[in-house]
Amino acid sequence: MLKLILFRLLQGVMVLLIISFLIFSLLTRAGGDAVTMLENTRSSNETIESLRRIHGLDRPLKERYLNWLAEAARGNLGHSLVLQAPVLSLIRLPLLRTGMLATVALLIAWSVSLMLGIAAARRPGSLVDRVCSVVILLASSTPGLALALLALALIYSTPLMSVVGPATNADAGVWSFRVIPPAIILSVPLLAVFLAQTRVAIREALDEEFVLVARARGAPEWMILLRHALRPAAGPLITIFGISLGAIMSGSVVVETVMGWPGLGQLTVSAVETRDIPLLLGVTLVAAAAVMTGNLVADILQRLNNPRLRNG
Amino acid sequence: MKIVTPNESEARDWTAPGENQSLLRNPQSAIRNWLRGRGALLTGAGLVMFFCLIAVFADLLAPYDYSSLSRREPLAPPTTIRFRDAQGRWHARPFVYARQLLDPATQRYEEITDRAYPLELFACGYSYEFLWLFPTDLHLFGTRAETGVEAPRVYLLGADKFGRDRLSRLLMATRYSLFIGPLGALLASALGILIGAVAGYVGGWTDAVLMRAADVIKALPTLVLILAVRATFPPGLPPADAIKLLLILFLMLGWADMARLARGLIMELRQREYVMAAVSLGCSPARVIVRHILPGAAMSLAAQTLILLPDFLLAETALSFLGAGLQDPEASWGKLLTDVDSKLFKRGHVLAEFSPALAIMLFVLGARLLGDGLGNEGREREKFQWSEGIEETKEGRKKEAG
Repeated sequence: MLKLILFRLLQGVMVLLIISFLIFSLLTRAGGDAVTMLENTRSSNETIESLRRIHGLDRPLKERYLNWLAEAARGNLGHSLVLQAPVLSLIRLPLLRTGMLATVALLIAWSVSLMLGIAAARRPGSLVDRVCSVVILLASSTPGLALALLALALIYSTPLMSVVGPATNADAGVWSFRVIPPAIILSVPLLAVFLAQTRVAIREALDEEFVLVARARGAPEWMILLRHALRPAAGPLITIFGISLGAIMSGSVVVETVMGWPGLGQLTVSAVETRDIPLLLGVTLVAAAAVMTGNLVADILQRLNNPRLRNG
Repeated sequence: MKIVTPNESEARDWTAPGENQSLLRNPQSAIRNWLRGRGALLTGAGLVMFFCLIAVFADLLAPYDYSSLSRREPLAPPTTIRFRDAQGRWHARPFVYARQLLDPATQRYEEITDRAYPLELFACGYSYEFLWLFPTDLHLFGTRAETGVEAPRVYLLGADKFGRDRLSRLLMATRYSLFIGPLGALLASALGILIGAVAGYVGGWTDAVLMRAADVIKALPTLVLILAVRATFPPGLPPADAIKLLLILFLMLGWADMARLARGLIMELRQREYVMAAVSLGCSPARVIVRHILPGAAMSLAAQTLILLPDFLLAETALSFLGAGLQDPEASWGKLLTDVDSKLFKRGHVLAEFSPALAIMLFVLGARLLGDGLGNEGREREKFQWSEGIEETKEGRKKEAG
């Protein structure tokens, strides 16, 4: 277990290094930095040059990258040129909010897919089973963007607006009822994947001999489902959770931007619009780190759930 | 002359034995048999074909230039096609009335019923090159332009806030979106197959390193990364460069899923007798992979490409929506969706305004159905080959025993 964690940490650091270097080197290749935007304004050339010097934009790429790296290693991801604040302080709250959004979305997707999946797996070919097939197909082919736009328009045309309408940076803490609509929309594509997986996994588990033994022993149905079928079925579910974390992060960019939840996704889009590279770099790295941490957690959970993997 | 009745023709056996026999004898039931259980596959194929045809003939189908503005008609609702005029008379040929903007604040329009403008098929419009070959100016439908009078534009899906025809934009966006999404999927899949093939065939350290890399790429928040890279380029990138950049990013970040699948398939197929035979005959690894292994895996790989296609399409849609795709007059499905706002239901033309989203949904649904259907087909085939193989070996064993 310790080996796994150490290995993953090492791997994570390497990935972050590669990503940061990639974005850094693209910057100079494409030309243009946060100060370039000023060139068409009234600022004089001297001002622009001195700004470049203050922020160290006039030095060669290698030196800038190593400087940035040394600072980043000390937990300082730099200074946002547009919002005039340390990057880390700008990222903290949005990261927590996106975490909240993802958690609520995952809870929704899990609970719905467990309920529907168990009901469908118990009677293959029944009405519930066929409804599940349709739900999977529709949920997997509905673009989150379209759903988010539709949901936003719906919210605006109902009096619910004041309770669950879009949140702004000022009025949303980490928890607010306004997280619910974006979370529902974010959970739809997840639901398709989870439901398909739950249905198959539970159906396979119910066919196992230990379920037959439990039935013969006279164990109640709820016990068979929750204790005997769910445990082996949880394996693929945890795997799929780990895999879908990246998709959740990508999906949250769209959902947060459309439905107004000031999380990491919204911050990314605004950083892209203002070409605030230090902030963008910070957001990307933090998002990648968050996803990789989630993956590690999924792997650890997997090992806790399945003793056969522990020594692997 | 003797008339052959269906019964007699069935009784006569003049087809060569083989699987064509039933098709020739009783085509109806053979086709019905083939269709059984393939409803989803055919629906998917139909939907995908439909969108492909739209993409190819977008110029012909679009009544107006997708970028031409009509300042007098911002946010015009869909034009009503009429058969009955204001005086209550019926007409065989459909016609439209010109419209006038009453109130720019609420976008209220009123029809001017003095004069009817008949619709016609194959009307003249802007010039384009049909199938990128023949210069022409014919369009599927339009209003007839007469001397001295300017005919009103027909907006089947209404006009956007600059007075551009939504239908024309949607059709041209189909062309763009169906170009970049599938091309991205195809390129990334090709790279994935290559990497997977190498990993699965060579094995050992190469395999371990490549699959680690695939795991890492699969775990990355792709959209955030693409946005970050896109932001390092100037915002006003020309369309051709924007497409190239997007394709390169898709290529770099999209191969992982396919590599995993191709690796699994190739490791499995490597164990087959015909592959071992090829290896023992001294074929080079490249030849074994390309000539002996890939043909066996083609169906499954094609199905997987189709299953992955929606991911690329949806990524492109999201990027265009977020402003990291094309610049304004150009249209793509995601770009068109930026016009949808929170007042969608208040304006009351939900279907017309939401049509790009519907197009995305239908196409993705079609691609998924087709991909799943092809995947099933590939598995059936696999099963068929396997069962034959098993029978052969059984017979062989019997012969050996006897």
